[in-house]
Amino acid sequence: MATNTGRSESDRMQQETGFQRLVRRPESGAFSVMVVIIIALMIGSNGQAFNALGLKNNIAIIAQFGIIATGAAMLMIAGEFDLSIGSMIGFAGMSMAMMLKWGLPFGFGEATPFMAFAVTLCMTLFLGWLIGTIVVRSGLSSFIVTLAFLFFLRGVTEVAYRLINKSTQISGLQDFKETSWFAELLGGEVFGWFYDLWFMLGGNLNRREEQWVTGFDARFLWWLVIAGVAYFVLSRTQLGNWIYATGDNRDAARANGVPVNRVKIGLFMFTAFCATMFAACQVFDTNTSDAAKGNLMELNAIAIAVVGGTLMTGGFGSILGVVFGAITFGLVANAVFFIPWLDGSWYRVFVGAVLLAAVFANERIRKRITGGI
Amino acid sequence: MAMPLIHIENIVKKFGPFIALNGVSLDVRAGEVHALLGDNGAGKSTLIKVLAGVHQPTSGKIFIEGKEMHFRSPRDASDAGIGTVYQDLAINPLMSVTRNFFMGRELKGPFGTLRMDEMNQIAHDEMLKIGIDFSDPTQAVGTMSGGQRQTLAIARAIYFGAKVLILDEPTSALGQKQQMGVLKTMMRVRARGDIAIIFITHNEIHSQLVADRFTFLALGEVIGSGSKDDLEHDEIRRLMAGGVDIGDLAKEIDQVMAEASV
Ligand SMILES: Nc1ncnc2c1ncn2[C@@H]1O[C@H](COP(=O)(O)OP(=O)(O)O)[C@@H](O)[C@H]1O
Ligand SMILES: [Mg+2]
Repeated sequence: MATNTGRSESDRMQQETGFQRLVRRPESGAFSVMVVIIIALMIGSNGQAFNALGLKNNIAIIAQFGIIATGAAMLMIAGEFDLSIGSMIGFAGMSMAMMLKWGLPFGFGEATPFMAFAVTLCMTLFLGWLIGTIVVRSGLSSFIVTLAFLFFLRGVTEVAYRLINKSTQISGLQDFKETSWFAELLGGEVFGWFYDLWFMLGGNLNRREEQWVTGFDARFLWWLVIAGVAYFVLSRTQLGNWIYATGDNRDAARANGVPVNRVKIGLFMFTAFCATMFAACQVFDTNTSDAAKGNLMELNAIAIAVVGGTLMTGGFGSILGVVFGAITFGLVANAVFFIPWLDGSWYRVFVGAVLLAAVFANERIRKRITGGI
Repeated sequence: MAMPLIHIENIVKKFGPFIALNGVSLDVRAGEVHALLGDNGAGKSTLIKVLAGVHQPTSGKIFIEGKEMHFRSPRDASDAGIGTVYQDLAINPLMSVTRNFFMGRELKGPFGTLRMDEMNQIAHDEMLKIGIDFSDPTQAVGTMSGGQRQTLAIARAIYFGAKVLILDEPTSALGQKQQMGVLKTMMRVRARGDIAIIFITHNEIHSQLVADRFTFLALGEVIGSGSKDDLEHDEIRRLMAGGVDIGDLAKEIDQVMAEASV
């Protein structure tokens, strides 16, 4: 400021260097863990984790994690949890695959991929709305309400499979990507230019010296879109301010005219949307579905959100941190494919340890921001 | 004398059988600080909640600039120009100064985007007007002192159109120096001349430093009122104690001490 009227209270804040500011950002912890994992995996797998196919496979799972963790993080910033994400994935996958195989309900004829998706999305958005409404109207903790939906939706999914399909999985659907632009959009490939370029530069070769990989899974694009929109909304829009305010101090937000109930209900619908996108990309990519899909994904999503710097108590979080968290979790979950001697259960050991460390780190961040209260 | 900005008449508020306010009347003029004093439980907070639209009065009338008002919600009251700064301030500690300042009333550009630069500038300027030069409005409110938070809440209420500013015990949770800061802030608001301030406190010294008029509540009723010049210092202390003479109190205390030393 040009006008300096002597020493004031605000002068007592210590000036920080750019580097200090960077280190103290909420996503710095997630970033360092990610870098360590990338280097470790690079060495442990002799580079295989990041060759043309390794990269594609890693990004596939990273994008899956990223999509649902973005939804979970937004909701947590507003002060609520959603434990129904995993079951919602299973439900949405069942709904789409079932319509693709058996046609639209009530004898409306064959389902196009778009119709199957649209009808499913209507149902999942309604479920998200229902969950949100129950939470805000009853004042019950979202933990218990969404736990109920975790069981309820998984059960409905299994029952529906057995009743209509006689089996809890559907495989061998026709490859809709060949006939439907919509299926291609969700289950096809994207960023082919990246692998073309890699090939032109002399890499990305298979054994016969031809181009090996032709593109990333489409869910990579959807993850970038969802994370990008979430970042924009949180940092740049009125809605973002409302989301932070709702999670930080609900009564203060309400006293200032923020429609906290509508914000929360909207975010429960957003997590349902993210779960539906997760399921749609999977169904149209593999042309299969089964009743166990999405199992435990709600807990992965919450863990990633926390590791990315989202506070369990709401009011604070970073989409960039969630991106780093998703990359880290995806790489570790996949590591077993690139490091043959590695026991896959190390993934859960890792998640537990990192989660605990992250909770402590986040608590320090919260104390620092709130001046130690 | 000018018409009072806010005039309240015979406000009664019952919570079931409990009479929290029993016919309270009060006038506040623009450019005036009106201290509302009384012991804990006297009904001060209940009165301001009625004025702020949080509670509906059982009976009684509220006039703003001569027009009778019926507040059905806090929104109604704030639309009518009543800005209330509660004890808990309605502030979000994790959010920045600017985001708090505009919470619920953000300045929007296309697609619901925030006009962040403009909002930062306004938050800075409005707070400077009443006494804090906050160089970094992107700083989290959690890092501010209690007095600064108080100033933020006051600046916000004024910027969003408060004609009647109600401050509920703004100095009670603060240290000495910050208390004076808040009193100075109040005097700057008073100096604008267009805002009526209702200052709730149970600190007689603070009220004497800034108030033009006083109203004393005890057990839900007004037990005395008057302007600064009308009231003697001892009278204020007597009314503060709920109408009991300080001399009597001193005697009672002596008596207890005598009994204790036996
Ligand atoms: N919502 C309520 N329901 C019942 N009693 C209340 C309620 N709010 C306040 N009271 C009672 O009214 C009396 C006055 O309270 P209050 O206005 O908070 O006093 P003050 O702010 O002067 O300390 C107290 O005895 C309190 O217990
Ligand atoms: Mg009170």
